[in-house]
Amino acid sequence: MPIEKMVPLMIDGIRDTMYMTVVSTFFAYLLGLPLAIALVLTSPKGLAPRPLIYRVMDAVVNIFRSIPFLILMILVIPLTRLIAGKAYGSTATIVPLVIAAAPYVARMIESSLLEVDPGVIEAAQSMGASIPQIVFKVIIPEAKTSLIVGATISSGTILGYSAMSGAIGGGGLGQIAISYGYNRYQTDVLLVTVILLVILMQLIQVVGMTISRKTDKRVRE
Amino acid sequence: MALIELRHLTKTFRGKMQTVEALRDINLSIHQGEIYGIIGMSGAGKSTLVRCINFLEKPTGGQVIIDGKDLATLTPKALRALRQDVSMIFQHFNLLQQRDVRGNIAFAMEIAGMKKADIERRVDEMLEIVGLTDRQHNYPSQLSGGQQQRVAIARALSTNPKIILCDEATSALDPQTTTSILNLLREINQKMGITIVIITHEMSVVESVCTHVAIVDNGDLVENGTVEQVFSQPKSEAARKLIFRKAGADAGVMGDRMIRIVFEGNASSEPIIAGLVMECHVAVNIMYADTRDVGGKAFGQMILQLPEDHLQQEKAIYYLQNKNLRVEEVNGHAH
Ligand SMILES: Nc1ncnc2c1ncn2[C@@H]1O[C@H](COP(=O)(O)OP(=O)(O)OP(=O)(O)O)[C@@H](O)[C@H]1O
Ligand SMILES: [Mg+2]
Repeated sequence: MPIEKMVPLMIDGIRDTMYMTVVSTFFAYLLGLPLAIALVLTSPKGLAPRPLIYRVMDAVVNIFRSIPFLILMILVIPLTRLIAGKAYGSTATIVPLVIAAAPYVARMIESSLLEVDPGVIEAAQSMGASIPQIVFKVIIPEAKTSLIVGATISSGTILGYSAMSGAIGGGGLGQIAISYGYNRYQTDVLLVTVILLVILMQLIQVVGMTISRKTDKRVRE
Repeated sequence: MALIELRHLTKTFRGKMQTVEALRDINLSIHQGEIYGIIGMSGAGKSTLVRCINFLEKPTGGQVIIDGKDLATLTPKALRALRQDVSMIFQHFNLLQQRDVRGNIAFAMEIAGMKKADIERRVDEMLEIVGLTDRQHNYPSQLSGGQQQRVAIARALSTNPKIILCDEATSALDPQTTTSILNLLREINQKMGITIVIITHEMSVVESVCTHVAIVDNGDLVENGTVEQVFSQPKSEAARKLIFRKAGADAGVMGDRMIRIVFEGNASSEPIIAGLVMECHVAVNIMYADTRDVGGKAFGQMILQLPEDHLQQEKAIYYLQNKNLRVEEVNGHAH
């Protein structure tokens, strides 16, 4: 493919991929964060143990986590149509991306929150802190570094999913790779998309890790 | 009425594999202004006991009454309000790692819902009291253990509590830092009249700051009273064990003909042993000696080995008793 055609194609691809990744990550956190907090609080060892509710949420998360992303995409097509009005393109792909990523994100956040020193939580309890105070003033701020690392890994995974979605009509770099590289044997296009995906992934990784390190107060300066 | 009243307090942990009776029928009254030591061997139930006082642990039986309020009858909200009067400090400090010193001290007051301006002012006061004004913008990871415990004390003090509970608050610190933390606690007690409960497994902690002591052994409160009472006349086996363990009275020290003499008040400033040797011509062997100042009064104990001769033994005991010292035989049972 000539360079004058390649550049605008790739710019569109990057834009669409970033759009899907950022928006999906945002909505996945919107759903995943409350879910993770609920899991942590209601667990048998949590601050408000509700074994039944916990087991139901735990099972739902596990079920969604165990469905392969491509199959999930096909399964939720009716829902995608309902929400996005169509089943293909970048915006439509956000629906299955969020559904696949939210349980993943929830687990990620859950494990970060569980890392918080129980002694600090107990200290807050001994001061008369309420559960919301403990969640928002202790658990989340103390888990901050781990949460940022988790967000970095999660958005990387979502980037990967978004590329995969190209196989069945999602947009972005994944779709370009499939339709030019695979269907039309344009190896140069395939190669460039792969390189761009690797660069995007690296970028997310470097930015995320830098932020988490810079904001962590536990290291001696 | 006492500030803290424990009545028939029991706590049983029921696990799948076993049940542990951590506390059995504990009765204890702690009055305003006291520094109450609770001492016992590892696993005796000390932590469980102190955690029952602020209901971090719900007792399985009996009552905890703080300032006239039976904690079991309080709503969750009222219990949280009460906890603002009962601060706690911990062995591992339990500071927020992502907040600096100021932020950590402010934390308790934020929980209590104080106004921002009031919090800032009070943080300055607290920094002054614990001597960390120059470290106010440091994070816990940049502080030594002793400094971290000072932050924890400032945090505990900031909400004007009536009671401070300390669970092994000095156990992670070296002896010198321990002394400075204990001095700070004593100062707080004397200046502000705050009642302090100190959990420890170290006799020296009780000796150096406590006014009262309770001895917990295997879930039972076996003995309690003023430090002078309990240390000079330990009634229970557990108390003797703790006091003598400290006295280095391991197998080797406990031979025959041992007596323990106890000094109270001014007696320890008299040259008793010199007198014994010079006036009675009885040569004794000092196996162990430990005298110190407790609450302004000289206080201590000494373990002596007497000569074999019976007459000499009686002479020595008679002499010591005449000096108003209590003399106990420690043969056999104290180890
Ligand atoms: N949550 C729990 N579940 C089951 N058993 C427990 C629990 N907490 C404490 N115990 C048991 O209760 C007993 C008393 O424990 P506790 O922690 O109060 O002892 P301690 O006197 O503070 O000991 P240490 O000096 O080692 O801190 C121990 O046998 C312990 O195993
Ligand atoms: Mg303990």
